[in-house]
Amino acid sequence: MKTVVCIKQVLQLGDEVEFTDDGLDVDPDYLDPALNEWDSFATEEALQLRERLGGEVVLVTCGSKASEAALRRCLAMGADRAIRIEGVDRDPFSVARALAEVVSAENADLVLCGVQSSDAVQAATGTALAELLDLPRAAVVTKVDYDAGARTAVVDRELEGGLVDRVEIDTPAVLTIQTGINEPRYANLRAIKQAEQVEIDVRNAAGGGAPAYRVRKMFVPDRGEGAEMIDGSPAEIAARIASIVKERLV
Amino acid sequence: MARDPKHDILFEPIKIGPKVMKNRFYQVPHCNGFGSEKPFSQAYFRALKAEGGFAGVSTEYCSISPESDDTHRVSARIWDDGDIKNLSLMCDMLHEHDALAACELWYGGPHAPNMETRCVARGPSQIPSDFEFLTYAIEADKDDIRHLQNLYVAAAKRARTAGFDIVYVYGSHSYLPQQFLTPYYNHRTDEYGGSFENRARFWRETIEMVKEAVGDDCAICVRMSTDMFMGEAGTQLKRDCLPFVELCDDLVDVWDINLSGIAEWGEDATPSRFYPQGRALPWQAAVKAISKKPVLGVGRWTNPDLMAEAINDGKLDIIATCRPSTSDPFLPKKIDEGRLDDIRECIGCNVCISRWEIGGPPLICTQNATAGEEYRRGWHPERFTKAKNADNDVLVVGAGPAGMECAMILGKRGMRRVHLVEAQDDMGGTMRWIPQLPGLGEWARIVNYRKIQIDKLKNIEFIPNTKLSAKDVAEYGAEIVIVATGSYWSTDGLNGATHATIEGADASLAWQATPDQIMGEGKELAGDSVVVFDNDGYYTGVSIAEKLALEGKKVTLMTPLGTIAPYMHFTLEAPNQHRTLHRLGVEIVPYHLPSRVEEGVVVATHVYDEEGHEKSFAADGVVWVAQRRSNEALFRELKDSIGLDQLKVEGVDSLYRIGDCEAPRLTADAVFSGHRLAREIDSADPSLPLPFKRERRMVDDASVASEKAEYAALYAEASLA
Repeated sequence: MKTVVCIKQVLQLGDEVEFTDDGLDVDPDYLDPALNEWDSFATEEALQLRERLGGEVVLVTCGSKASEAALRRCLAMGADRAIRIEGVDRDPFSVARALAEVVSAENADLVLCGVQSSDAVQAATGTALAELLDLPRAAVVTKVDYDAGARTAVVDRELEGGLVDRVEIDTPAVLTIQTGINEPRYANLRAIKQAEQVEIDVRNAAGGGAPAYRVRKMFVPDRGEGAEMIDGSPAEIAARIASIVKERLV
Repeated sequence: MARDPKHDILFEPIKIGPKVMKNRFYQVPHCNGFGSEKPFSQAYFRALKAEGGFAGVSTEYCSISPESDDTHRVSARIWDDGDIKNLSLMCDMLHEHDALAACELWYGGPHAPNMETRCVARGPSQIPSDFEFLTYAIEADKDDIRHLQNLYVAAAKRARTAGFDIVYVYGSHSYLPQQFLTPYYNHRTDEYGGSFENRARFWRETIEMVKEAVGDDCAICVRMSTDMFMGEAGTQLKRDCLPFVELCDDLVDVWDINLSGIAEWGEDATPSRFYPQGRALPWQAAVKAISKKPVLGVGRWTNPDLMAEAINDGKLDIIATCRPSTSDPFLPKKIDEGRLDDIRECIGCNVCISRWEIGGPPLICTQNATAGEEYRRGWHPERFTKAKNADNDVLVVGAGPAGMECAMILGKRGMRRVHLVEAQDDMGGTMRWIPQLPGLGEWARIVNYRKIQIDKLKNIEFIPNTKLSAKDVAEYGAEIVIVATGSYWSTDGLNGATHATIEGADASLAWQATPDQIMGEGKELAGDSVVVFDNDGYYTGVSIAEKLALEGKKVTLMTPLGTIAPYMHFTLEAPNQHRTLHRLGVEIVPYHLPSRVEEGVVVATHVYDEEGHEKSFAADGVVWVAQRRSNEALFRELKDSIGLDQLKVEGVDSLYRIGDCEAPRLTADAVFSGHRLAREIDSADPSLPLPFKRERRMVDDASVASEKAEYAALYAEASLA
């Protein structure tokens, strides 16, 4: 059982934000790197499959040396090895193309991605990767029941309104994993220290292909107009809110 | 970050008499246990508030004469040149931060026990103190009145010499000038008693004399309680205080308006259990409405929106704080910088005040472990040194108040990695449920403040839902392991009165419970009636009793002590807690100790009944608030079963424990314990606190020689046997 988990080191915004001089990106001083939340659940799911069926968990990410912190985080959780691909643009098509090249060579039984990354919030990479690998894919997965003998998996997909879509999918397949599917294990300090010593396999992206988009401008939208500030005692404020709701409902 | 413009008003300067305060933040007089006899502790404690942005900072009550000695409680004193010198240090250090220094001139009258000076105080009438035992005053005649007024004048001049900018003629809390104003204390029939004009005469004359003496150089502040909540006998807003403001407004530069007398001054220093912030605002606004002078007032202000609102609404001019300025001396600066989530908000537990009430010890603070430690331990609440062993990784087991504080400070000291591991799904330990006791909601600030700080510190990782075994800890990979697993309430009746368990006590039974089970685990006792046994003496027993009574149970609160919750007397919570329990119909059974319990009945004896007559109390359930025990199983296993040598083999160089896991204690002390270890994690032996500086007179050879010579001569001269 070999599972490849595609992970991303995301950049989180703090309370304040400033942009770079060219207006195309957030000033790195205002960003904190972190492992994408969804990817810790994907990694945990892969580790649980390995515990049940044996085999290997392989991590892949696209990014600079700094993004190795996210890989080491997942290595500390227990993943077996890690590959980092350098020189990849950040848009989901470029990332998916770079990942596809590496992942296809791994001949994995399952490929897990997070549903989305918390910084870009496109939810596109996993699906694009499945297309490029010509594999079936299931999105927003909240349960995986993998049958190694039949080479199929029954998976639950989270739909709107609390509905669940239970589907059977042939494997190998790409699954995008939803948060809450499991409880990601913590890494103790010894595992974190050991993960620091692991050699990461660094590859270069082949490049080529059109990006999904180009950033033209990044900005904080203008504040809208028409907000009404309600002053007064709590009772007065409540009365005003009630009358606004009544007006709008009519 | 920048200040929110809606808080700009708080940073506007304001003129008070001959002085200008640079903003609207003022630390009203409050005790700290240092007085004028620990001058460095005093100066550093006050100066930190000035550094944190307070534009005016006062002494605590400052005695004007040996006739007014509050020993065993610690006041400042301005009796002589030595006191001037000692207090001038505080003034100088406040001035370095452009803050004004205030001195609260105090004369206690019948409330001054004079246990050190052995003087006798003077007062308006000879009625013993309602606050002290066996303390009477001389009923002042006209000469005594002149003498008293001259004491104020002389003390005001000494205060000016020391460098104070603001001089108080302090009446609130039932002290001398307000005693004259108040019928409860003033039974005189001469021109200093009776009508309002007569009752106001002493205070008005004294203010006049002090103003005449120092008014060109110092602002004159009058601190007045505007309601003693004693009906006709006490000071009343409309009858006494508003007329007094009109009478003296021309003399006074700033009014410090509060509430209460001394016997129930929890109506002024309000516990959060009973009052929200800004409680005195209606009274302060009433004074503000008729005075042409600035009005300042306390209100346990921690919320800048409410502060700005009080000023914008014309109810106050100056935001006065005492407890919030101790909980966070940098309150103004954090508001100025828009760092509102960094404010360490006062929880209103009054454990600070408990130390004054106990008499002697320095103040402590539940939220701010550095309060009182500014000088003697050199702790700055906002600044930290990088630990010399910062290249170590630390495991803190248990995220209660001690563990959170320790992890937070280790994070601020730059340890490489700090893992805070907790068995439950969130931080807080027992402080997750304590704020759910009736009235204690604000205590959740202990957890919330630390959670926010820990979240901001990138070198700390919080790991919930993880109960570590000793083996897990040993193999965790941390060089430093700190066990903070807290404590639990005894389940078998073990208590500090008999030092034994109680026959039949077993909280694993359905009809018995401990506070942990009721609050932490949601255990419910069947039936209508319950006996709560309390030998803890602080908030837990009475709060559980109140909670169960609110749920409709018939509650009997039994204690071997003479009164319920005696520590709540020190935190000023006792009077209203008694009222609450009385209102809820809780039956109080003091001086009783259960000898045995069986389902349906608690059998108890009077603790002073030598014949041990038993009395039965029918009860469907029993709650044991008997004593706490450390949760030390993990620590013992690590130290005794695995052993320090084997831990070293695993890479654990040091093993410590903090907080209740060492010994159960006040939350303030548990937090302190976590803070102390983190501050000293790079000392030679962090398990032992470093010595702190003690301000005391040191004997040296020269002084020994001169003192001995002086006393030899003195005794020789006294030749009559």
